[in-house]
Amino acid sequence: MIQHYPALVVILPLCGAALSLALTKIHLHLGRNVIFLSMALSFYMSIMQLRNVVINGPMEYRFGGYAIPYSIEFRIDTVNGLVVAMVALMGLITAFYCISGEIRSEKLKVGGAYAVVALFVAGMLGNASSADAFNMYVFLEITALAAYCLIALGGNRGMVAAFRYMLVGTIAGTFYLLGVGILYSATGTLNMQDMSIIIQQGGKDEAVLVALCLMIAGLGIKSALFPFHGWQPSAHTHEERGSAALIAGVMVKIPVYMLFRFVYCVFGTNFKYMQQILIVLGIFVGIGMMYGSIRAIGQTNMKKLLAYSSITQTSYFMLGIVIGSPVALAGSLLHFIGDAFIKGGLFYCAGAIKYKFGTVNIDNFGRIYKKMPVTSALIVAGALSMIGIPPTVGFFSKWYIAMGAIQTGKYIFVILLIISSLLNAIYFFKIIEKIFMSKDKGLEDVRPVKKGELPWSMLVPMSVCIVVIFLLGFLNVKIINMVLPLLKGVGM
Amino acid sequence: MMRKVIGIIVIIVGLGYVFMSFDFLPVIGDSTAPAHTHVSDYYIENALRDTHSPNLVTAVLADYRGFDTLLETTVMFSAGVCAVMILGSKSHIRNRFLVPKKILKGKPEPGVSAYKTVNKDVMVTLIAIMILLYAIYVLLHGEVGPGGGFQAGALMALSYIVSMMIAPDTRPLFSLSKANAAALAGIGVFIYAFTGLLTVFNGGMFLEYGRLPFPVSNEYLHTIGIMLIEVGVTIGVMATIITILKAIIERVRFDDDRD
Repeated sequence: MIQHYPALVVILPLCGAALSLALTKIHLHLGRNVIFLSMALSFYMSIMQLRNVVINGPMEYRFGGYAIPYSIEFRIDTVNGLVVAMVALMGLITAFYCISGEIRSEKLKVGGAYAVVALFVAGMLGNASSADAFNMYVFLEITALAAYCLIALGGNRGMVAAFRYMLVGTIAGTFYLLGVGILYSATGTLNMQDMSIIIQQGGKDEAVLVALCLMIAGLGIKSALFPFHGWQPSAHTHEERGSAALIAGVMVKIPVYMLFRFVYCVFGTNFKYMQQILIVLGIFVGIGMMYGSIRAIGQTNMKKLLAYSSITQTSYFMLGIVIGSPVALAGSLLHFIGDAFIKGGLFYCAGAIKYKFGTVNIDNFGRIYKKMPVTSALIVAGALSMIGIPPTVGFFSKWYIAMGAIQTGKYIFVILLIISSLLNAIYFFKIIEKIFMSKDKGLEDVRPVKKGELPWSMLVPMSVCIVVIFLLGFLNVKIINMVLPLLKGVGM
Repeated sequence: MMRKVIGIIVIIVGLGYVFMSFDFLPVIGDSTAPAHTHVSDYYIENALRDTHSPNLVTAVLADYRGFDTLLETTVMFSAGVCAVMILGSKSHIRNRFLVPKKILKGKPEPGVSAYKTVNKDVMVTLIAIMILLYAIYVLLHGEVGPGGGFQAGALMALSYIVSMMIAPDTRPLFSLSKANAAALAGIGVFIYAFTGLLTVFNGGMFLEYGRLPFPVSNEYLHTIGIMLIEVGVTIGVMATIITILKAIIERVRFDDDRD
């Protein structure tokens, strides 16, 4: 059965989403529970397939059973095995977190909301598993549609942000599709491995260059890379509380992973214009690291602060791609996995504080740690990791990226990385100071009847995030060693 | 304003430069272009043997790349769910008007036609039946000829739309509430996915129709498989269109949104 896991990981949440609305008609929570079950199974399978990949090498799954370039293929290696496991875990705990935001009176809303979340997760899982350029586009569209909906559900301003993101995101999707179209016209195939073989034979440099430019624009918009980030702050600020962690923590990372696949696994390092493209990307990344941090310092709305901080984080992942040495790529991947839980966790915290006190303005956070110990612990863990203090995952990932930069002699990025981390420290210590030291503002509990800090459905995901942030820090050598053999084959 | 102008100039100059100086697209009709030689040749030569479908488009759409079609149906479904989530579950239309109630008094309910004729009410039923019949023809013919699930679904929804638009106070052929339509769209997607799961449980790959657990020859198995997924697509598309229609109709004004 294990050979079917790559497909089932994606299909199960999709089936759960499809059945959710019908099952909700039978009982209010039946659809939701089926979705939980499907996501839990999906997570279990993603872990098993990762284990299998580490032991036995890459797994291929051919839909319809036809030979490789003629059918759609899922290909799981150590890199995307990790990404799939990360998305599956994040999806599962976020679906859990959403329980607290349910509108209990309406069956349609409950079933529909979980269906959208499950579709969102299925889209991202598929994007990470797929080895077919067009198939990735379809998954990208599923993800995007669900994201528009989840952002729009965040009220009036969310609706405006979602509309703006929809206009920009549709153009981004079209850019990506145009790039795929050009690659297809140049190679005659959509399968990425086959495409890679044909491109390596040479003579396609111009088509590849145009396709790559379109893809950088498209995927850059989707991942809010620096000059394309316009939609992102308002969308992340006003999106629906429950799913914010998924949108901010996971969705904007998947396009970066796709870009890595295309640049290193399909086009390869022999590509004629590689250096020029990397210089342009390097400029984007360098400005992005500074811009995001500097804008974040001035914010008082915690969600907006995190949104600007996201621009910096996206630049860090891209930094791995720009440097291109195996160590830097591995560090970038570790940062990628870790940041899902850091940024996701911080958005859980923002949602939790909003849930309890109805505010996300950090000036009001005075001595909140007495009332919300777990939330404060997660904020501290996330902030330390974001700044890069051992033993959290953030330190080790930045360490590997910097090491890669030194090995290849790109010292400028090391300097930028350190400055940007120090800027991170300014605004995260500001939050920590407010939580632990500032005067208590005497915030009113919006839900005074409930006992305890928060409902358990919110505490469990937050605890998972704290555990994973430290666990990834301790396991960093293991993860790096796991992905290095593959990255050595494709890196510079 | 200045920023926009600069952006537009950059785009035009950049695209112009790329298309003028680079020669990356094959000539139209060039039969030696990679797009017409690599994978396409295989499809043309082997589609009939592999998929037993006399129509090449169907062979690629529903068999070789059937997984993409599942996802496209899912895109439809998610569009329906999103529309219903964003627009749905608002109070009754009359309560949402900002106009004072006394002005509305005596006016017909919004959405109800102001004039009625017998001819129109009778004709619409006939037309709806014709459209439905044609939809079923397209669906059943689809797996061997051009056409198929998406078109049949759109036509079925059309027969509903026609009776809703022209004669809203007569009973349509079939009636679906917003919630039921959204649930039905999900079931359509599930039928498609379940066809794939059946082949997995029977030891094949996902959507490998040759492994469907029915006691008929391989040739018919492919036909049955394509038929099953087309039924799923039809139900999904029809229900999605009705869902979106219902969600929009029940929400004629948008100025009552609160944070």
